[in-house]
Amino acid sequence: MQIPVAEGLFAVNGAGVQLIGTRCCSCDTLYFPQTPGCRNPLCRDKQLEQVLLPDRGTLYSYTVQRYQPPALFAMDAWSPYALGLVDLGHGLRVMGMLDDVPLDKIAIGMALKLSLRTLTTDENGQSRVTYAFVPDTTKDHA
Amino acid sequence: MTKPVHVLGAGAHPWGKWPNRSQLQLAIDALAMAIDDAGLSWPEIQGLVAASSRFEGGMGWGLHANEVVQAVAEQGIPCVNVGGACAAGAIAFQTAYSMIASGQCDVVAVLGAERMPKGFIPRPPGSQDDITDSDYLRWVAMGATNPAYWAIEANRRKHDFGTTDATLAQASVLMRRNAAGNRLARFRNPTTIDEVLASPMVSDPLHLLEICPVSDGAAALILGSEQYVQRSGKRPVHVAGCAIATGQFGDPGRRIPTISSTVRDDVSHTSEVTTAVQRALAMAGMGPNDIDILEMADNTAWHLLAWPELFGFYEAGQGDWMLNNGKLDIGGDLAVNPSGGFLSFGEATTAQAVLQVCELTWQLRGEAQGHQVPDARVGMSAVLGLGANGGSVILKT
Ligand SMILES: [Zn+2]
Repeated sequence: MQIPVAEGLFAVNGAGVQLIGTRCCSCDTLYFPQTPGCRNPLCRDKQLEQVLLPDRGTLYSYTVQRYQPPALFAMDAWSPYALGLVDLGHGLRVMGMLDDVPLDKIAIGMALKLSLRTLTTDENGQSRVTYAFVPDTTKDHA
Repeated sequence: MTKPVHVLGAGAHPWGKWPNRSQLQLAIDALAMAIDDAGLSWPEIQGLVAASSRFEGGMGWGLHANEVVQAVAEQGIPCVNVGGACAAGAIAFQTAYSMIASGQCDVVAVLGAERMPKGFIPRPPGSQDDITDSDYLRWVAMGATNPAYWAIEANRRKHDFGTTDATLAQASVLMRRNAAGNRLARFRNPTTIDEVLASPMVSDPLHLLEICPVSDGAAALILGSEQYVQRSGKRPVHVAGCAIATGQFGDPGRRIPTISSTVRDDVSHTSEVTTAVQRALAMAGMGPNDIDILEMADNTAWHLLAWPELFGFYEAGQGDWMLNNGKLDIGGDLAVNPSGGFLSFGEATTAQAVLQVCELTWQLRGEAQGHQVPDARVGMSAVLGLGANGGSVILKT
């Protein structure tokens, strides 16, 4: 049993993992996470719809979190991990954990795709999962 | 027609950790020093504007100005308490400026005082544990600490401009060298590039000595109209410009605590601060070349490289050369943080922007003992706060 870190943040379906965002149909702007309004001051109608965001992007920048964040962030067997800022296109850059890549092999510009990462698993086998970005191997061979 | 406004007095309690002194006591001390510096006494103060803290004091409602007058001078004056997180001091300054420029008051005090909690700053009470609260998401979904946001900017700078780890470290070295002569600073031991790079890595590429810690401190200013400018007998310091601003849609900056940016072409990075700076320059009728001193919020070494570029002091990417060639030193082309900056003081959030203007005042008077910028005529402050708040003040002699 997998429990997301927050409801309404991402969706898991047949196609894989996708972030849930908002698109303003009036000015064609993407937001993540879902937003109650369009922040564009020149946008008048602000007609919003829920959308599933692109599941692939490129690494804009990153860091490695070397010390443990406060308790609200729970992770079994804590060790330093990477955080990326990922360009999903259409002007949207999203932060998230990077997974499946050695910390010294991360490079700005690398192709990434969305995935799930298990943060904690309790004695009943129930796990808490978040979204993460992993190398997009299909891209390397393209 | 607005009236000219002048800085009559400045005062600050040394920065540090003061477990045995209340926030209110720090505030009262700083105010007493500023009033004395202005050659005035409490009955002549016609208003008090305080930066509201969320950590201590203010009767739980951010009523920090009211708390001060109830403790030391009950005299019916207007008390204004303003929020703005780390930029609150600049908003307090702007408010006091307006009270005098409008002709409503002749002498108004500005106050910022803070005792910071230990460790991570807790989330405010009443926060929602769901996707409507970015500060919840950044923790539960990825554990993104504040240094992580700044480190992401620093790594991108390394990619874009080839900034080296040694250059980032050099920014910390400069701040410590400046602070060595400033009795108000908390960290006054000079350091070296090797020592900075040997300090623990917090969030790549930023080391512990490249990130500002938190401190306790308090600072106060007395602003006044023309008729008070000669009262203290000190060199007059004038407010040439001051402005506050909020962020622009499409800003590419990593804004704490959000977990995404919607980026639009041609929008300035850290737009809340660059907009405030541009407005203050326009009000002063000045350009970047007119500024001798920049006191800016250096939450990390990266800020010292990036911010002067964003403000138009020189081209993007030139900061490394400026720093490494001594151009940002006391006595250089543009003295950046002769005080020693946040890296040497530690951040006492709401007090920080008030301290910046105190420092500029002392510099322009030629009173910055141990860290005086030669022939300083014009100084600018720049600060950023949560909620996309930016503020900037320009003083001239
Ligand atoms: Zn819109």
